[in-house]
Amino acid sequence: MQIDDNLEISDTGAVLCVHCAARVGDSVERPLQHALRHDRPSCAAGAGVRADPARFTQRPIVLRQIFCPGCLTLLESEIVPADERSYRSWLLAV
Amino acid sequence: MPLINVAGSERFASQPTSESQIRAALGERLRLHSVSDDDIAGVDALTYEVIRHRLAMITEEMGDALKRMSGSVVVTDANDFGATILDESGESVLVGLYNTQLAASVDNAAKWTLLNRSNKPGIAPGDMFLCNDPWVGGGMHQNDVTVLAPLFHDGELFAWTAAVCHQVDLGGVSPGSWSVNGTDVFWESTPVPPVKIVEGGEMRVDIEDMYLRRSRVPKLIALDLRAKIGANNIAQELLTRLVEKYGATTVKAVMKRIMSDAEQRLRDKLKSLPDGTWSAIAHQDSARSGEQGIYKIVLAMTKKADRLHFDFTGTDPQVEGFINCTYNGLRGGIMPIVLTMLCNDIPWAPGGIYRCIDITSEPGTINNCTFPAGVGKASVGSTWSTMNAVSECVGKMLSLHPEHRKSMMCVCCGSWDLTLLAGVDQRGGPFVTMLCDSMAGGLGARVDQDGVDTGGLNCIPMGRIADVEINEFAFPMLYLWRREEIDTGGPGRYRGGVGGSSCFIPHDAPLGGVHLVVSSPGKAVPMAPGLSGGYPAATAHDVLIRNASARALLASGRIPSAIEQLAGSPDVLPPHLETNLADADVYYTHWQGGGGYGDPLLREPGKVALDVGKNKVSPHAAGDIYGVMFDASGVVDVGATDKHRQQLRRERAGLALTSNEE
Repeated sequence: MQIDDNLEISDTGAVLCVHCAARVGDSVERPLQHALRHDRPSCAAGAGVRADPARFTQRPIVLRQIFCPGCLTLLESEIVPADERSYRSWLLAV
Repeated sequence: MPLINVAGSERFASQPTSESQIRAALGERLRLHSVSDDDIAGVDALTYEVIRHRLAMITEEMGDALKRMSGSVVVTDANDFGATILDESGESVLVGLYNTQLAASVDNAAKWTLLNRSNKPGIAPGDMFLCNDPWVGGGMHQNDVTVLAPLFHDGELFAWTAAVCHQVDLGGVSPGSWSVNGTDVFWESTPVPPVKIVEGGEMRVDIEDMYLRRSRVPKLIALDLRAKIGANNIAQELLTRLVEKYGATTVKAVMKRIMSDAEQRLRDKLKSLPDGTWSAIAHQDSARSGEQGIYKIVLAMTKKADRLHFDFTGTDPQVEGFINCTYNGLRGGIMPIVLTMLCNDIPWAPGGIYRCIDITSEPGTINNCTFPAGVGKASVGSTWSTMNAVSECVGKMLSLHPEHRKSMMCVCCGSWDLTLLAGVDQRGGPFVTMLCDSMAGGLGARVDQDGVDTGGLNCIPMGRIADVEINEFAFPMLYLWRREEIDTGGPGRYRGGVGGSSCFIPHDAPLGGVHLVVSSPGKAVPMAPGLSGGYPAATAHDVLIRNASARALLASGRIPSAIEQLAGSPDVLPPHLETNLADADVYYTHWQGGGGYGDPLLREPGKVALDVGKNKVSPHAAGDIYGVMFDASGVVDVGATDKHRQQLRRERAGLALTSNEE
């Protein structure tokens, strides 16, 4: 079953990268278990971040991204306060 | 003063009430029309479709009536209004293709009216009720004023019609009722729970005076009030004709079947999707002027069999400010996404659709606030952010289905960048208006195509922006430009639609300038996230340039096209601010685009080149985000692109470059 543009669930229940077949998660309970994570200042998102977030808030703001461990395809991107855990997730009942 | 609950205010806090509860509560006090299951089953398919389409057309006619009669550009040119037909118990049968946030909670207003006004002052033929209490329903904030009209047939309450428009000013501390310094609802326009504004076909002038007295532009508000009464009159006339032609039982049976049909078809669609839970978060920066917090709405959406459960546990507590929304606002954040993404092939009958939906939310949170929390910005504050979180979760769920994934759209225009102008217009009269240019937000990317550039908002399918010339005619302003903005669509394999900007000066303003209220979150944290690796759309960005050279440039025959050309003192504005825009000042407002879908390094280089050619993407972003390199003649250099993309893959993941990539 294809999850999105980058991930699929194999017959064994593992979560695989559709681009390189790397195992991203061993099961749908932990779908991004092996993914790489990296935070950078939000300005790394490019010109879309029009002004330094420090103008508007005391909290540091980061570009948080998750990558395929095999081909380094970008699986998720979010710009969030650095001191906040990621709330974005999914869990399939399959 | 801190937020302290007002004893007794709970009775205004509507909660969904079923038809059987309504009937039980009313008893013999008010006779409600009813039909049996056999009546509903007995309608033949042809009659059903004819009446169903006629009902849909009536909502269109209501919209046309509002546009023809209103004098507000917000209504006539931007379509910020709603039109709904409801059954006798207040269930929404059909909503028009206008502001679906507004339509989401009009059912609660009708039900509250049934439960609280049927005894005194009573509900009778020819009556209409006015309501702008966001806790009761009918709108998200006090500017959303609903006129509800019961329709009687043979002595029984047969149905309701409802028209709601955004009113440009209903009092409160700040013009436009956008009290950016406010800490609670008492800074804002006073909410009015349902009051009988029309009795037996005659306007209640005492009630009208009470309503209009609060506004800075009472004549305009009076005109809009008549537009809503007129829209209801037209709807009731057309419904009556329908009843005369087909009979009350048949028309009501169709209304009931529309809702059950929508319910069943949504259940079938949900059943075809895998079960699971999808979580999202939506941020807003700043709750009021001068405040720098970041507030979150947290959503875990669970789809099980044929039901959807929206659980907002973990959402921040209500805040001293004006960004909160009531439970009705929360529903207004859910329904527009369910309609556009899940019900694009299903009748827009919220009364049936809500039967598939469960909501968990703690009272006292920013999207389920209690009285007297400030809600003046609710529609484009916590309701909008709720919509963003719902959009993300529904989008992820739809991505799983080979067919339904085509209906998925990433988050659209993450916030409403409010520009509110007030003062004296070029004709010497008072004016207040919300500039609706940010209605041209970028739509989110989809699984197989880019988002539509400046395509609109998913909560107002028929939303549009006024022509520049209309705004200049109506208000004392002169545009320097209104245009799409480069690099505002979220990068991705499929790019989010770009947003836009407007830049203008006061013009022909008798007082020399105008009053300006600015209100937009999304400046620290962009609010239209991407999906499947796609980047968020750009942040909102507003700049006020004091003592600019715009007039000198225009006098010399040059039309400025960039802030840098305007000299003066540019000031990047915080999310919320109230100030004056003086004769020599320039205001630049820049709203958000849509989120991207997929990894931008997987975007076809040729598409990036086209984007650069059309000023959708800058050459800088083409290289840094999309990894596309061009040769000296501006043609994509395939070899250099491959190499650069390989390098970017490691760099952005925080990995050391290999010797070949350095």
